[in-house]
Amino acid sequence: MIESFVTHTLNGLYYGFILFMIAAGLTIIFGVLGILNLAHGELYALGAFLVFSVVGFATGLVASPTGTVSAIVFGIVVLAASLAAAAILLPVGAVVESVFVRPIYERDEVYQLLLTYALLLIFIDVMKFGWGQTPVDPGVYGTLNRIPTTELVGFGYPSYNVIVMLVGLAVFGWLVWFFDRSKTGRIVRATAINRDMATAIGVSTDRTFTLVFAMGAFFAGFGGAMVSIGPGTAFLEMGLDPLVLSFVIIVIGGLGSLKGAFVGALIVGVISRWAIWLYPPVELAAPFAVMLIILLFKPEGLYGTWGEIE
Amino acid sequence: MSQRDAAVDREATAGDPLLEVSNLSAVVQGFEVTHGIDLEVREGEAVALVGRNGAGKTSTFRSIMGLTPVANGSVRFDGEELLDLRSELIPKRGIGYQPENRDLFTGMTVEENFRLPIWTSGRARGIDDEDALVEDIFDLFTELEGRRNAEVQNLSGGQGKMTAIGRALALQPDLLLLDEPLEGLAPVVVENLKSYLHEIIKRDISVLIAESNASHVPDIVDRMYVIERGEIVDSGDPEVLAEDEEIQMLMQGGGE
Repeated sequence: MIESFVTHTLNGLYYGFILFMIAAGLTIIFGVLGILNLAHGELYALGAFLVFSVVGFATGLVASPTGTVSAIVFGIVVLAASLAAAAILLPVGAVVESVFVRPIYERDEVYQLLLTYALLLIFIDVMKFGWGQTPVDPGVYGTLNRIPTTELVGFGYPSYNVIVMLVGLAVFGWLVWFFDRSKTGRIVRATAINRDMATAIGVSTDRTFTLVFAMGAFFAGFGGAMVSIGPGTAFLEMGLDPLVLSFVIIVIGGLGSLKGAFVGALIVGVISRWAIWLYPPVELAAPFAVMLIILLFKPEGLYGTWGEIE
Repeated sequence: MSQRDAAVDREATAGDPLLEVSNLSAVVQGFEVTHGIDLEVREGEAVALVGRNGAGKTSTFRSIMGLTPVANGSVRFDGEELLDLRSELIPKRGIGYQPENRDLFTGMTVEENFRLPIWTSGRARGIDDEDALVEDIFDLFTELEGRRNAEVQNLSGGQGKMTAIGRALALQPDLLLLDEPLEGLAPVVVENLKSYLHEIIKRDISVLIAESNASHVPDIVDRMYVIERGEIVDSGDPEVLAEDEEIQMLMQGGGE
């Protein structure tokens, strides 16, 4: 009982870190651009498909691991490949923002829904065209679990999942540093707080928006890549559930709040995995129930900032 | 020396035209809110744009900064047409803007608000020593020194205005646009801030100040324009205009 509680909680945290990578981009894009990107889950799916191709290419360059050292080398190659897959989404995000999203900033919100929903459908077709209808799996999860980390947890838990949690923690740390400490990050925050005044000190809002959208696409793609080389597979509809849960996460955390997205993602991840363990039919409903309870006490979310990145 | 001579004297010491606004009509939500504004600020000159709330001062400033669209007209700065430029290039050409409602970057400190313009436009403004410029601004606004690491939403009204002006100064501007820098402040703070403004004007920076209270500015500016219903209705020597009964009538109830 205790062991399965710990296992399901760890699975929940693993899923939470993946969800964070999607929700972080979603909340930053909303906070800065004021756009709710329905196609964000598809950027996650695209990362999952891209890594299938990139890993296939990259692992062809190294020998299949035989011992601990070669397992670590193999792991580094695969993680680098997932970063490379995510990096492909930087220009994808930049083009989507500057070509498709930019014309609708000044328009009614309904245009956002129409446009980003259209992008969602287009992305699904692009993936269908590129990788076919059936799920694909890079098939490296078993090999990655030979990287020894399991002993640290004290009982048998996949090493790879632990690595993903560490990577997720690093991503969160980096994003906090970026927005709190780096010059570019603070310029982005200034743009989110007051677009006109940012322009009046020399910020190109066009360029800032493109950067933010590309960053959001990158992290979503990175999350997708890590799922697909991990215990999951890449399939066409994989972006839908995480997108819905990401909405729950950013509402729980407070729209535009990075820390809120982090805490919210871990809560939602754990709740949904506990639900799978205890009563599977409520897997998707349970996070909404938690959201309702939190909103009753904190209507603006845990770290509500309403549109300002913090 | 008579006031007339004093005015002539001041005009003689002013340099070449720095900002030339001609026939400018700003458009807000589809409505023309200014109608053919003509005004000029010469190098080293301090000029006031006086008119009551809603007369078109803020729209004029915002259209100079490229933040409000214009129906027609021209804004030349140092000989260059600003209306042809992307808005974010205008501060890089050397215009610092303090908006009416401060519009500080909340959640950030006073010091960060001063550093942001240097990060975005420092290279274009030829600023090599970021720290020196920041210290220079704190040296001017001595009472902000102790609030350096305070987040700007926690400042008093006067400190907020100073931070907004300091942020504009961080561009090392040739021209400052100050939109109602003295509005909504206690009389003591107004006097205090006026001495700071005087200090800035002495520094070879041209200044255009929007004011709704005509009695605030005559002693610190060289020339004055009066704006009413989106049109310039008078201009000239500030001391003379401030005494003008018609102008005083216009300003009545426009102060707060």
